[in-house]
Amino acid sequence: MADPEGPAAQIARQAAELQILQRVASEVNATLDLEEIYDIALATMGELFAAHHAVILLLEPDGQTLRVVASRGYENQAAGGRVRVGIGAVGIVAQKRRMLQLGNLGQQRAYASAQRRQMMKAGRDSEVGDVVPVPGLPNAESQIAIPLLIRDELVGVFSIESPVRQAFDAHDRSLVTIVANQIASAIRNAQLYDERRRAADALQAANASLEARVAERTAALQRELRIAEDLLQQARSRVDGPLLGESAAVRTLRDAVAHEAIYRWPLLLTGPPGSGKEAVAHALHLGSGRKGAFIFVSCPELQTQNRYVPGAPARAADRSLISKFELALGGTLFLDAVHELSIEHQGELRGILERHSGDVRVVASTPVDVRTIGWLAPLFNGRAIAVPALRQRREDIPVLVDHYVRKYGRQLGKQVEGVSPESLQRLEAYAWPGNIRELTAVLERAILVAKGPVIEIDEESLDNQLSVGSYRLISQLGSGGMGEVWLAKHRLLARPAAVKLIRKETPPGAAREQLVRRFQREAQVTARLRSPHTVQLYDFGVNDSGAFYYVMELLQGLDLQRIVNNFGPLLPERVITLLRQACRSLAEAHEHGLVHRDIKPANLFVGRLGTEYDYLKVLDFGIVKEQPGRGGHDAAGSTLLTSPDLVQGTPAFMAPELVFGEHPIDGRTDLYSLACAAYWALTGQLVFKASTPAQMLLHHAQTQPALPSAVSELPIPGDLETLLMQCLEKDPAKRPASALALDARLARIRSSDPWTQDRARGWWDAHAPDVVAQTTTS
Amino acid sequence: MTEARLPQEIRPALDNGVPCLMVTCSADGTPNATVISQVHYVDDTRVALSFQFFSKTIKNVRENPRAWAGVMDVVGQVDWLLDLEFERSETEGPIFDAMDMQIEAIASATGMSGVFKLRAADIYRVLSVGKRPF
Repeated sequence: MADPEGPAAQIARQAAELQILQRVASEVNATLDLEEIYDIALATMGELFAAHHAVILLLEPDGQTLRVVASRGYENQAAGGRVRVGIGAVGIVAQKRRMLQLGNLGQQRAYASAQRRQMMKAGRDSEVGDVVPVPGLPNAESQIAIPLLIRDELVGVFSIESPVRQAFDAHDRSLVTIVANQIASAIRNAQLYDERRRAADALQAANASLEARVAERTAALQRELRIAEDLLQQARSRVDGPLLGESAAVRTLRDAVAHEAIYRWPLLLTGPPGSGKEAVAHALHLGSGRKGAFIFVSCPELQTQNRYVPGAPARAADRSLISKFELALGGTLFLDAVHELSIEHQGELRGILERHSGDVRVVASTPVDVRTIGWLAPLFNGRAIAVPALRQRREDIPVLVDHYVRKYGRQLGKQVEGVSPESLQRLEAYAWPGNIRELTAVLERAILVAKGPVIEIDEESLDNQLSVGSYRLISQLGSGGMGEVWLAKHRLLARPAAVKLIRKETPPGAAREQLVRRFQREAQVTARLRSPHTVQLYDFGVNDSGAFYYVMELLQGLDLQRIVNNFGPLLPERVITLLRQACRSLAEAHEHGLVHRDIKPANLFVGRLGTEYDYLKVLDFGIVKEQPGRGGHDAAGSTLLTSPDLVQGTPAFMAPELVFGEHPIDGRTDLYSLACAAYWALTGQLVFKASTPAQMLLHHAQTQPALPSAVSELPIPGDLETLLMQCLEKDPAKRPASALALDARLARIRSSDPWTQDRARGWWDAHAPDVVAQTTTS
Repeated sequence: MTEARLPQEIRPALDNGVPCLMVTCSADGTPNATVISQVHYVDDTRVALSFQFFSKTIKNVRENPRAWAGVMDVVGQVDWLLDLEFERSETEGPIFDAMDMQIEAIASATGMSGVFKLRAADIYRVLSVGKRPF
């Protein structure tokens, strides 16, 4: 305000003002801190206009609101108050973007208010609006409000007020304008700096987030890559593992694979169990370049699918070899343990090879001497690759060990370097009756329990791998759906034996303990049987892996299933001889109140005992059922292998009462099954033909069987046929009363050419000389 | 026509929002008195009167440019009496905007925006200035 003052005072005041303005310019341009800028601006107003009030309002991002960010001299003027653009002095200044100076605010407010009251009193309410509170000095008389502009862009409003009328003159307006311009520029710079800093922070956060996501994704991809590599490695090792090494034997094997891979003709792989025949088949498939799939078929399991399993869906297609063949079109069909194929499937295979030669490469494997399987060799025209036993390629053991240690170490998540030198020596010296399969089992277990990077394998762990009780397993004789049969030797007596391992998945607990007790009881009952035609049980138990095992006498020969499969139907007089032996075995069992319940050709083992040929032994007495009230043991309980979750029998040989329970089960149940086996031996055909187990069982219950002579190419004596048909009666009461009665009836059947020991020996010499050779595996 | 200069001491009576009396006369000599809300200081020889809603006044001024206005300095308790002659009417420009902003600054906060609406700023040359105490 222009107070009367002398020229000297005026000059002094202007000089002071100039100093203040210079300092303001210097200070606000030296900082990018908004709060500091506000403080400088407000302090300057205090210096220039002592006792006056100043406020800084900034435009909100919505462009419609001003917000008080700093103030000076107000009692209740806290930062954060808001006013809309276009309302009040500061709102009008923001709207018009021009400075406004007012000098008589009190009078103007009073007049406007009076007018408002009068209009409302006169009923003109609709013409007036609401009173809007505006931040500021309530009793202000003078005000200078200046828009804060940067290149026509509104930043906010700077306002000073005074309760004195006409407090500000043109000079004051100029001073405020200079300060406002300075702070507008400083505020804008600070805002830009703040925006950039926020943007930089956001960018940095985004970068960090992006880096984290990239790192996470990279880690995920690396994990997926590792899994893919593992899978690839597993796939390769499945093929490459057993073929690794530089021994002469494996080089010859690889050469043979490379040579044979390009052809389409059927090929047989021979070699002991566990030697890697499946891997060789894979290698042949990969080497062939065929685009189709590699289809694995376990022939014993194909057989097992013929069995009746309660609750399991019976699908004819599952059992069909042709269905597997179709899956393998353009690829390879691998028939594992092909010697186990039934006659039905043999015919199917023969048809496939004749009609579809070249569509599918058929590769089959067997651990059995091909010469003992009459039907097999012609199908493959002598084309075979012999896969060597591991003991025939001992020099490959270090390479194989290294390969499998790395493989299982990776799979089991163990940091392993290899086996110790001493352990490697043991592995190289060991006989490996189980071949590469046994080697992999030994290494996997050793790595699993390893405490350091160097694997130790002692003698005991090698022995433990393949031993049950006092018996050491030498080599696998066969395998099927139920388990495996091993050639074994007593550790001390060195007596050869056959060990049957029965795999039954039962979790630990009361149920398993009960199962073990039942298994023990059944084995004890079976051990009481003394008939020379019943396979002798030496021992039984449960091994470390939880598998039940029976140790039985080692037999030389073939079961009736295989004999008929390989060499065709038997002469009637020979069948009579074999049936009589079976009757004597069953008679003793029935005498003890035991019913076998699973008499079938596969459980009638024929071979040599001492000097006798065609000596028959009934197998698998470990699964008998005691007759109620006769054995005195858990008469109503199910047997080990007939518990609800296991196979109850083989439908093709199952007596009606065994399935439907219309009649009590007794010895006559076994006689029905024995007659079914005899039917098979005489004709090479089952009593009934059916596409599903259920159909087969219905036939047994309802259908009259065809006479054996009607389906056999060989003549069958009438009295034998009559006797067999009597045994096949649906009603047990109409069958022979006992096994001894049946034996007596069989004995009365006269033959013009009886089956003698000479004829039996001649047959074995001609068909399977090696099987019944005197020297057994030691 | 003579021209008078406005003294500095009249400034509190101008731009203060206090209504003042304005008298005009038609071509046939019929007088008309009305109240206007603002007499704005333009320079020391001119004032601007707000033209808000007085159709009779503007009609008279268009016919007879001579007018008379009385403004009050309430604090100084002095009436200032001005002989004026209409010079021009502005609906835009600095004078109009300054008057409009002053009116709107108050009107907007008191709910009177719809009433105190400046339609034009009429510029008058001051022919004579007199004063008398209340």
